[in-house]
Amino acid sequence: MITRENKNPILYKVGRKHHEYRIAPKINKIWDRKRFPFTRRHFLKWRGIYNLKSLKRERMLSDKLPLWWLLGLGFVLITTPFLSNQLIGVSSIFCVYATINILWTLIIGTAGIFSFATLAVVGVAGYISAAANVYFDVPWPFMFIIGTFVGLVFGSILAAPSTRLDGLYYALLTIGVAEICRVFVVQLRVLAPQNGSITKVDSFIPNELFLQREGILIGFFASFVLLLLALLVWRLINSERLGLLLRTAKTSRENEAFAEAIGIDFRKARLVVFIISSAALGFVGAFYAMYFKSISPSVFSLDQLLILFAMMVIGGLGRADGAVVGAAIVTFIDKGLIELGPLRIILIAVIMLVVTIFAREGLTGARKQFRSFRKRKSGERRALRTEKNGEVMPEEATEILDKQEIYFRKFNKRLRDKLKKLITPELIEEHKNAPTGNHSDSLARVLNFFRRAETADKYALKKIYKEDSNSVYQVIAFSGVKTHPPRIVDDKEYSKLSEALHAVFVLRVNDLLES
Amino acid sequence: MDKILEIHKLSAGYGPLRVLHEIDLSLNKGERIGLVGLNGHGKTTLIRAITHMTEWQQGSIKFDGIEIGGNRSFGAGRRTASIVRKGISVAPQGDAIFPGLTVRQHLHCGAFSKTAWNEKENRINKIFEIFTPLKKLEHVLVGKLSGGERRMVSIGRMLMEEAKLYLIDEPTLGLAPKIYSSLLNAIWSLNLKNSSMIIAEQNVGLLSKNVDRLIGIYAGKLRGEVGHVELK
Amino acid sequence: MDISIIAYALNLASIYALMAISISMIWSSIGMINMSHGATFAVSGYSAWYFSVIFKPIIFSFFGKTLLAQILMGSVLIGSAMLAGALCGLVIYFLAFLPIHDKPNYPVRSLIITLGINIASIQLLLYFFGARNKGLPKIFGFGRFEIFNIPIRYDQAGTIISTSIILLIMLIWLRHSRMGIEIRAMMQNPEGAAYSGISRRITAIPVLMITGSLAGISAALLSQTIFVSPTSGSIPLIKGLTIALLGGLGNVPGAMIGAILVGFLEAIVGSIQQRYVMFATFIFIITILIIRPRGIGGLLDNTRE
Repeated sequence: MITRENKNPILYKVGRKHHEYRIAPKINKIWDRKRFPFTRRHFLKWRGIYNLKSLKRERMLSDKLPLWWLLGLGFVLITTPFLSNQLIGVSSIFCVYATINILWTLIIGTAGIFSFATLAVVGVAGYISAAANVYFDVPWPFMFIIGTFVGLVFGSILAAPSTRLDGLYYALLTIGVAEICRVFVVQLRVLAPQNGSITKVDSFIPNELFLQREGILIGFFASFVLLLLALLVWRLINSERLGLLLRTAKTSRENEAFAEAIGIDFRKARLVVFIISSAALGFVGAFYAMYFKSISPSVFSLDQLLILFAMMVIGGLGRADGAVVGAAIVTFIDKGLIELGPLRIILIAVIMLVVTIFAREGLTGARKQFRSFRKRKSGERRALRTEKNGEVMPEEATEILDKQEIYFRKFNKRLRDKLKKLITPELIEEHKNAPTGNHSDSLARVLNFFRRAETADKYALKKIYKEDSNSVYQVIAFSGVKTHPPRIVDDKEYSKLSEALHAVFVLRVNDLLES
Repeated sequence: MDKILEIHKLSAGYGPLRVLHEIDLSLNKGERIGLVGLNGHGKTTLIRAITHMTEWQQGSIKFDGIEIGGNRSFGAGRRTASIVRKGISVAPQGDAIFPGLTVRQHLHCGAFSKTAWNEKENRINKIFEIFTPLKKLEHVLVGKLSGGERRMVSIGRMLMEEAKLYLIDEPTLGLAPKIYSSLLNAIWSLNLKNSSMIIAEQNVGLLSKNVDRLIGIYAGKLRGEVGHVELK
Repeated sequence: MDISIIAYALNLASIYALMAISISMIWSSIGMINMSHGATFAVSGYSAWYFSVIFKPIIFSFFGKTLLAQILMGSVLIGSAMLAGALCGLVIYFLAFLPIHDKPNYPVRSLIITLGINIASIQLLLYFFGARNKGLPKIFGFGRFEIFNIPIRYDQAGTIISTSIILLIMLIWLRHSRMGIEIRAMMQNPEGAAYSGISRRITAIPVLMITGSLAGISAALLSQTIFVSPTSGSIPLIKGLTIALLGGLGNVPGAMIGAILVGFLEAIVGSIQQRYVMFATFIFIITILIIRPRGIGGLLDNTRE
């Protein structure tokens, strides 16, 4: 640490707040907040703050996430139509995976159910809706409805054991379900003649345009709309009543007991969230079948599931922006760098490892983690710096009733430190030569400080009259309490006043140096 | 005047809550001190902080001249094993026994240093002399023992190692007077030689006459220190 | 359905038991769910193949086709598999245990890390060795014999006997040796273990290495009947996990009982209709877990939850 020898004292910040950007608008515009028409919901979260330095009112944006969302999604939407066919395909796949991830985050994060059955639901819904279209000639708009319904039913079946089984057991069960579905579909000849896949599914992409650029573009816009729908579902569930109810019962047994004691039926809320997201996943399944115009057993594969999970982990478990960010990174590596072969999966696994070891909450939570780490480190350094009777640490400050005491101690400490620097052997010599009389500046300051001390334990001189009319002086210390007599410090007796004064001075200097 | 333990301005706590406020304590070799205070005032926290089971926020602890502190708050319990191996034996609050191991295996666990392991048979016999009821229960699973017997196993495990510092946390907690009186007699009759002992206890009367110093702890600060107390 | 099913069932059961017990032990002693056990399995299988390819000509040129050569071959196979398994365990220690074992959210994060190691190793094996299956030389040779009128193949008998011996040794070692007591102490009360000078970080090393070698042994034994391939570890991993859960996580006897049950179930269903084996296994496990959510062990997990 660099010590500075100038007049400005070093001010250590306690609990650093990140820099906020503020706007100082004109007077009438401070409370002007635009809302969604016909609702009472605001667009952005503006807060009014009173600036204590410039004495003006200001506005600041309390929550900058919507801006980031807008930027990211807008970027994807605008740049993609200009890319090559293959890259547009990658973008659409990114949207579909991001959708699945967001819905999966609803299940894992909000509902807290560690289920690995997402792809199973998607696949089963996709298969049944595709079969309805191909074998029963159901027109394609109805595939969405069938898919959602199948998702609902399948979700209800899967939701039943979730309350009964513990987290890990349930996770394993759902992994098994995906495997079973895959095997089942391959075996059932009646459903899918060519090694398990259904092809020639009708879709919103007209048949002629399927592999042309127009078809691909339609596919991309449709998947983008799907992503927006998923975000809407996320917002509706997570930030509204169900999500808020479930937030009380998150992560730990005590929280669950607390929620139950208040009267929140979190188990039912979890089931409802699970079923809703399963229905949404069914919708995605139907979309999947229509986007590729076919569906194959590879939709159930465990590798795909693990890659989706890796996306969520890299982005951050439990957050919608984490799901999308993770999907973006992993899809880019997986499909964009396809030349690397199996190496790219190793790269994904390595990134997942690094993120889990170092960034606890994934990439989107890295900022918060870093800030709390920095706060902890600065707290520890502050703890190193504090000395007894010096500056008071925040934890101790809350226990002191009279806050004036804190400032007194701070000031006293600074004063004592300064005075300690002034005490030199020359100063003591100076006092020895002239205990009363003209003193130098530093000696005067030191003496003033001593004179201003409180009475408790203050040294004083007692004059003892002897028979031969010579008086001697003895050093005593006041007790500071009314009825208690002062105590005698030591037996030395001084015949000359100047010696006694110097003795008192030396004692006081010792005390100062020790404190 | 050899100091075996020097605690200087220790502040410890759980998370943001600070329980101990700048405690200064020093212990000489061969001394036995009692730490008294009500529940929740920091006795257990102090004992846990010495072995680094609880996170610290500030301070230094010198054990036998070696600094075993550290300003970085490692995970609680991370360095406990290495600190314990430097010569501290603990009988924690609530016994910390292993439900599936027998009494004999507990005592084996207590002898973690090489010398103790080589002499373990002698020491086990000595402990069975001190705590006679354990002799019959040598091969019984400790999970099935009663509270008093478990306490004896815990303290016996602590005694297997000839440590420089013994920390006993509330030896009479939850026990009936008939049972803990024999326990305490066994503790007092130990010949400490050069080791020191800290006993944290709520019941001051039990500690009187048997400890060299009695220190009170109140709201996380040490208040009042008396030597050779005799309570009537 | 003939009586040779019993041999087949016991064969499967012993291999599953090895995997399930290792997963159970890792969970209860250090609180980590090891999803990369399948990768350990595959890597050990590959190293066994590699060393057998190297040593086969040497041994056979020295000893010819004698029984001694067979035994040497077998020991090379199993030895290299055990060594590779132990090394994998060490890698897992450094990646999945040491950095995060006292940090928050440790069980979930260790699961994710081991998952990542699993994925990465499978891809690495694919990259280096290619996707084609490799065969291992048979340790126990071909041939059958009969016990109590039950026909058993040599390799089945070898597997069953060696697994039983290994498991017995391990159980005795866990019960009576110093390190075994330390591991069990750590399983039951981590705080008490710390006060007894048992450091979790140091004790995790033998736990991971031993479970790694167990996976290696099961790879060497299973690869007698199935080829070695990069994904050969995934199915034993899932089976091992489910059986460990079935027996109750942390409960070693429960895992063994579960392994025997599942082995028999698979043998019986497999003889009726091979396709429904996985299906039936899962239904069985799910049913038992619904009836007894803590598994066959049924008793409380002492410290881990």
